[in-house]
Amino acid sequence: MAEAAADSSNSAVDGGGSNVQNDYPTIDPTSFDVVLCGTGLPESVLAAACAAVGKTVLHVDPSPFYGSLYSSIPLSSLTSFLSPEASPPTSSAAAAASDSRTVVDLHRRSVYSDVETSGTVPEPARRFTVDMVGPRVLYCADEAVDLLLRSGGSHHVEFKSVEGGSLLYWEGCLYPVPDSRQAIFKDTTLKLKEKNILFRFFKLVQAHIAAASASSDETGQGDASTKIPEEDLDLPFVEFLKKQGLPPKMRAVVLYAIAMVDYDQDGADPCDKLTTTREGIQTIALYSSSIGRFANAEGAFIYPMYGHAELPQAFCRCAAVKGALYVLRMPVVALLMDEEKKHFLGARLASGQDILCQQLIIDASYKIPTLDVPFDGSDSWKVVRGVCIISKSVKQGSSNVLVIFPPKSLEEQQVAAVRLLQLSSNLAVCPPGMFISYLSTPCTDVSAGKQSIKKAIDTLFSPQASDGSEGHFETTNESTEDVKPTLIWSCLYVQEITQGTSGSLLSCPMPDEYLDYRNVLGSTKKLFASIYPDEEFLPKKSAPVYADDASDSAE
Amino acid sequence: MAANAGNKIRNAKLVLLGDVGAGKSSLVLRFVKGQFVEFQESTIGAAFFSQTLAVNDETVKFEIWDTAGQERYHSLAPMYYRGAAAAIVVYDITNPASFTRAKKWVQELQAQGNQNTIVALAGNKADMLDARQVPAEEAKAYAQENGLFFMETSAKTAINVNDIFYEIAKKLLQGQQAPSPQAGMVLNQRPNERTVSSSSCCS
Repeated sequence: MAEAAADSSNSAVDGGGSNVQNDYPTIDPTSFDVVLCGTGLPESVLAAACAAVGKTVLHVDPSPFYGSLYSSIPLSSLTSFLSPEASPPTSSAAAAASDSRTVVDLHRRSVYSDVETSGTVPEPARRFTVDMVGPRVLYCADEAVDLLLRSGGSHHVEFKSVEGGSLLYWEGCLYPVPDSRQAIFKDTTLKLKEKNILFRFFKLVQAHIAAASASSDETGQGDASTKIPEEDLDLPFVEFLKKQGLPPKMRAVVLYAIAMVDYDQDGADPCDKLTTTREGIQTIALYSSSIGRFANAEGAFIYPMYGHAELPQAFCRCAAVKGALYVLRMPVVALLMDEEKKHFLGARLASGQDILCQQLIIDASYKIPTLDVPFDGSDSWKVVRGVCIISKSVKQGSSNVLVIFPPKSLEEQQVAAVRLLQLSSNLAVCPPGMFISYLSTPCTDVSAGKQSIKKAIDTLFSPQASDGSEGHFETTNESTEDVKPTLIWSCLYVQEITQGTSGSLLSCPMPDEYLDYRNVLGSTKKLFASIYPDEEFLPKKSAPVYADDASDSAE
Repeated sequence: MAANAGNKIRNAKLVLLGDVGAGKSSLVLRFVKGQFVEFQESTIGAAFFSQTLAVNDETVKFEIWDTAGQERYHSLAPMYYRGAAAAIVVYDITNPASFTRAKKWVQELQAQGNQNTIVALAGNKADMLDARQVPAEEAKAYAQENGLFFMETSAKTAINVNDIFYEIAKKLLQGQQAPSPQAGMVLNQRPNERTVSSSSCCS
C-alpha cells in the first residue's frame, strides 16, 4: 500500500513528459523553529508536539512513504528496504563554501544486517504488508493510546483486538495465558492448586495497585496493610514470586507472559537484567487496566489496521493540521554550522536549499557527525526479528494471537524470551486464509539470537511440502491434536538498537525489542523536554476541533 | 448510530484533492458553515468537517477530510485516501496549471482508492468568469472520459456548492454498498468502564 502510494505520488509529481529524477521542490518559507528528518513514530510524535505548542515545523523524509524505521512495507519491497543501495547523497553544486557557514555532511547507514529469506513469496505479494517494528502491539491503556486521544490522531486510525489472547510455550506445549481472575476461572489446563495460587497472587497485586493509586491521589491514608512492603518491591520479581509460592510454570506465566520480561530471571550469572517487583507490577497494572478499557476491544492488546505505519501517519496529520509542512522524497544531506563550528544554524536539503532552524531532529538511520568513533557493533544490543507467512492460525479459530517462549523453553542456550505475534487478514495486512507472524528476541550474540528465532519457527510451523502425518502439535486447550501451520515464506534479520541522543542535533530512538512503545515514547518525551523544557508535551486539549455542524441542510 | 424509524443514516468519508489555492477548504466552509473568507491562508486548523444531508427519505452524514496542506509538496499519506466513499477534485477555472494537476490527482486517486469511489470534478471560482482560463467544455469532456461528474462551483457566491455534495450523496445512496466487515475499532474519547462481573466460586 505504501509503495503504491509512493509510485502514484511520483507520477503525480512528474510532468506529463519524462520522469526527471531529483526534481526537488523549493521549500517556502526557508526558516523554521524545528526541522525533522524521518517520519518514524518518535519523529512524528515530536512534530505533533512541537506544532501543538505553536512552533513552526518542517518535516521531511528521504523516502516516498511515511514511517522511516517504523514503516509498513509491501512484502515485495522488504528486501530492498533491509539492504538499501549505497547511494550517498552528495550535496548538489550549491555545496560551495557559503560565506560565514561551514557545511558538515550527513550520511545515512543501514541499521539492518544478516538478512536471510527462505521459501517462496506467495502471490499476490502486494497484498502483504510487513511491519518493521514487529512484533509490536498497543496496550489499550498505554501511553500511545493516550497520546492518540489527546492529539486527535485517534480519529485517523482503526484498530483490531489481539482477540486470541496469549499462549505460553512450556515443556513442548502451548498453554493459554491466564491473565485475569476471570481467565483463571475459565482455564481448563490449570490444576486447582495452581488456580488458587494465581488467584491469591492477582488479588494481592490488585490490592497493592489500588492502595498505591489511592495514596498517590492523596485521598487519605491508603490502607497500608494492602500495600506490598518496600523491601519486597525492591526484590527481584522472581524472588518475590517464589516467596508467594508460585511454582516454576506459574512464575513463567507472570514474568514472561504478563510482565513481559525479556531476560532469563533464573540465570546463574547475576546480571543487571533482573526485573524488580516494582517494575513487574507496573506492567501487570498496565496489562490489567487494559483489559476491558474499551467496550469493543477483546483482551489487553490492540493493533492498528493496515500496520504500524498508520501511527506515524496519524501524528503527522495532527502536525499538519497545526501548520507543519510536509515534504516526502527529501533527504537532509548536511548540517549548517557557523565558521568555527560552534553554533548550529540549519540544514541543507538534497535539493541544495539551505533551511535555517533552531533545532534539527533526525531519525536513527543518520550517523551523528560529532561521534566520530567508529561504530563498535560487537558491543551493542541488537534485536533479531523474523517475519513468517503461514497457512493457518496457531490457535484454531483465532485471528490475532501472541505466543511467548520463555527463556530456556526452546533450548538451554536461549537466554532471552522469544515473542511471536500472529496477525490475520482482518487487519488488512495479508489475504484471507493466510497469516503473518512476527518474532523477535533481544541479543548481543547474533548467532544465538537467530538460533532462538529459528527454533521457535521450527517448533510452531511445518516446513512446506510436509505431509500431514508429520509434525502434529499438541495444543492442550483442545482434545484433538492439531496439524502445524505450514511455513510458506520467512525472513530473518538483525536490527541494531540505539537510544535517542540530545544536543543541538537530536537523534530519535529506534524500534526496540519491547512488545509496546513505552520505552520509545519515554525517550521521545525526554527529547521534547530537552528542547522545550517549559512547554507541555501534547497538551490534553491539543486535539483539533471536530467541526461537527449538526444542522441538516435538506434540498 | 441510532437510526430513526424508517430513516437510515449512511456515513461516508469524503476527501478533497486539488492544488494549493484552488479553494478546497473554502468549498467545505461554504457547505458546512455557510462562510467564505477572502484570501484564506493555506489550510490550517481543522482535520475534519462533518455535515449531514437529507436526500428523499435517507440521510448521508459526510465526514469531510481536508488535506491539512500535505498536498503542497505531494506528501499526502495513504490513510488520507483509505476508505473514501467519495472525492472532490478541485481546480481553479482561472488557473490552467491547477486543472493540469487536477488530472494528476484523478490518476493518483484511481491508483490509490477503490474502484467504487465516487469522484467529482469541481471547477471552482466560477464567479470569476472574466478571468476564466479553463473552458467548461474541456473539463466536462475530461470528466465524461474518466467516469467523473463535473460541476463548476463558487465558494464565494455559493454557486453549485450544495449541489455538488447533494449529487454525491444521491450517487452514494444509489450504490447502496454493504458496510465492509473489515471496519476496525475507533478509539473513543470516553472509554467505557466495563464492570467485570466475576462469577468466581468463593472457597
